[in-house]
This record gives sequence, structure tokens and C-alpha cells, in this order.
Amino acid sequence: MDTTQLLKGVLDLAVLAVVSDEDGYGYDVVRRLRAAGIEEVGDASVYGTLRRLYSSGALTSYVVPSDEGPHRKYYGINAQGRAMLEAQRKDWQEFAGAMGRLLKTEVVR
Amino acid sequence: MSVLDTTDTLDVAGYAAAVRRSLADLGPEQVDDLTDDLEADLAEALDDERHVAHGRGVLEQFGPPEEYAAELRAAAGLAPASAAGRAGLPMGDPVQDARRLGRWALQRLRAQAWWPAVEDFLVALRPVWWLLRGWVVYQLVASMAGVSGWFPHNLPAFLVLVGFVVLSVQWGRGAWFRGSSGAWVATAANVVAVLAVLPLLGTVQDGLNDRELVYDSYLAGAFRDGGTQTVVEDRAIDGVVVDGMQVSNLFVYDAEGNPLTDVQVYDDRGRPVRTTFDNGFEQYWFPEATEPWSFVSRVDSDGRARWNVYPLQGAPTSEFTYDDEGLQVLPAGSSATTPPWPFAKAPALDAPPEAAIGAEGPVPTPTSTP
Repeated sequence: MDTTQLLKGVLDLAVLAVVSDEDGYGYDVVRRLRAAGIEEVGDASVYGTLRRLYSSGALTSYVVPSDEGPHRKYYGINAQGRAMLEAQRKDWQEFAGAMGRLLKTEVVR
Repeated sequence: MSVLDTTDTLDVAGYAAAVRRSLADLGPEQVDDLTDDLEADLAEALDDERHVAHGRGVLEQFGPPEEYAAELRAAAGLAPASAAGRAGLPMGDPVQDARRLGRWALQRLRAQAWWPAVEDFLVALRPVWWLLRGWVVYQLVASMAGVSGWFPHNLPAFLVLVGFVVLSVQWGRGAWFRGSSGAWVATAANVVAVLAVLPLLGTVQDGLNDRELVYDSYLAGAFRDGGTQTVVEDRAIDGVVVDGMQVSNLFVYDAEGNPLTDVQVYDDRGRPVRTTFDNGFEQYWFPEATEPWSFVSRVDSDGRARWNVYPLQGAPTSEFTYDDEGLQVLPAGSSATTPPWPFAKAPALDAPPEAAIGAEGPVPTPTSTP
């Protein structure tokens, strides 16, 4: 099954989870998503999601100056984002539980 | 972040510029929000060793910039480009069609085994195209302004050329003309440059050929007489030429300097030496004459006219009339006279050296021994 379809629904959740773990800039978030096993997501989708979450007020952003490379824009989570994350985490767990029961597989918590 | 070599950097810059162009309808602020760190993110992704992208080109890794922009736009929750009311052309956007055709061609080419090496080579040549493009635009502008020459001859023209080259390189790198307002001008200029480059190079070649032809004819001596294409031949003329001037008469003096008359002059082959060839019809001016003269011939014992008897005698042309046969003759009763001598007496000579003459003639005896 094409995981991109699955991903479209939960990319917000995945991105929020990554940023809540630690603040990060664009590609940093992509890298961490991939490291966690989500290979199929396109870079552009992640950047767009970061932007949308920021516009909706779930993330903060600040620029970190750098001597060697360009200045990078970092995203961090705020209270509203944390609330959104919690709500979506619960939704996911309920959904994954239901799917697990349907498929008769265990869901790793 | 590791250091990428410049072609990768420029590729990323060009790609990022293309992405921004696709997003241009959103307005500059929105575009900046979406693509602030785009170059850095792209570069880092390409460079990431842990990620499969390492060593791949931008297009290979991320797909066409328009699709990247569409994905970015969609993920950000913004309306796609066509629905945003872009001022497109009514009958199917030829630019999009051209792009699609180009992508299809690229895909077909990439399926060939030999293409990647060729593509790398061509991509490496992109900066050369930027320089050439700048020169082409300069050449078009210069020829419209009436400035000739394939390379600027003076400082202002040189600065203009440098300006166009800088514009071209910066646009190629994606550093300028990012916004929608300048982009179409740059694209139009690029198309013009692409169309013009071959004809321009053709005319440059013609110009060089012309110069070679001119130079060859210069070497052959075409420009010696003040630029007109005269061919100088060394052709001998008949007559007596002194100091570049053809003379009309000869005056002979003896050893003591006394004038001689009725002297017959022959050349080294026994031919009569003539100064005139007009049989008496021409007029001649000479110094101290108030009017032109015409000459008459002497007649030899066989009745032939002889014009090598010097000094030639004649009279002012006004005294001549025409006889029944149309010849110019002196009227009866007047006779030819000798024209004025240049000087009454020539300098006397030293005692002449021994002169050996041919076997027929007598040997003149010297008047005194040297």
C-alpha cells in the first residue's frame, strides 16, 4: 500500500512530534522524520507543513545566525502546538488500536 | 554543512529560483515565507551522506521545480497555481506545454545509457552559456545603437558588455530576478539570446572572412596609392622622359657648349628617338612660351617624315592652317623656326676621353691627350 496516502493524514502529527522533541530547521526535521522510518515523505511536504503549522499558531519560529553557513530559520513548539499534539496523539492511538483489532495485530505503544 | 563545489551551488540556486517563479503568483511575502531557507535545505539534502541523495543532482533528487512548488504549496494549505488566477494564455499555456515537452524529452534521454555523462558535461558548461548570453545581448544592443565590432573598442561599451554579462550570470545563478515582475523580462531576453546566438556567430564569421580578404588584397599592394584599388604596372612608354615628365623636344650642344641643330638621334638599337607622336597635330607648352606650339617634321632624302631631328622646329599653333588633305601645315611663306633654347651656351666639357666606335665609322681623333 502506498504510504504517501497514509502519510497525508498524519504528517501534521509527525512534524509536531519531531519539533516538540527538539527545535529544528527545515531539513533537520526532514532528517529526523526519515531517521524514525518515515522515508516516503517529500521535503517540500515537510516544509509546507511546517509553514502551515506556524501560520496556524502551533509553532514558533526564530532565526539562528551562523558564522559559517547561512542563517537558518528554526521552528519550535508552543503551548497551542503542544495541545494540538496531545489531541492528535490520542486520535492516532485510538485509530491505530481500531486498525489493530481489525487486522488482528498488536500496536506498539 | 559541508562545502559543495560551485556547480552544485549554482544548480541549487537555479532550482530554487525556478521554484520561486512557480510560486510567484502568491506575492513576494508569501514566497519568502515558503522558501526562505530553500537553498540551504536543498543543499543540505543533496549533501547528506546518510540520505540516499548524496551525489545526485537537484532535478534527479527533487523532481521538476514546478512539482516541488506544487507540493510545497499544497502542504502549506495554499491554493494551487492555476486556481489562483494566474494571468495565463487562453489557448493552453505554450510555456507549460514547452516545459512538458522538455521534461518528456529529458525523461526519454535519461533512459539512454550514454546520456548521464553528456548531461553532466552540458550542465558543467552552463556558466559558459551565461557568458555567451551576456555577449549576445550586448551585441544585439550594440548593433541597434550603431556600434560596430564584435568586442567593445572603448570603455563605455566595455562597461555595457560587462553589465550584460553580470546580469546574465546573476540570473543564471538565481541571485537576481526572483520576483515575478523581473522574471519574464529575463526569460524573454534568454529566449532572444538563444535564437540570436547562431545567426550572430554566422555574421561574426562572415566579418572575419571579409577582413581576411581585405588583408590579402592589402598584401598584394592594392592600397598603395592612397586607398584606391589601383594596380600599378611598370609599363614603358614611348618617348623621352626626364624626371618623370615626358619632354617634347631635345636641345643638343657640342663639346664647347655651342648649340647644335639638325641633330639626328637614334637609340641603342638604331631606332629613331622621338619625343612626339602626333604628326604635328598636338600643341605643346614650354617654359617662357606665351602660346602653344606645334612641331613640323623634317623630310629625309627618301621623302619620309622624320621626327627625330633635334631640336624639333615648329611655330605657334595659331599660325597653322589646314591644307586640302586636312593636315596641319604652315601657310606658304612662313617657315618653321626653332623654339627658344633653354640656354644659349652649355658648359664646356673637359677634353673627351678616347672613344671607341663600331668598325664602320671613323675613329675621331682626340684634340688633346688627357
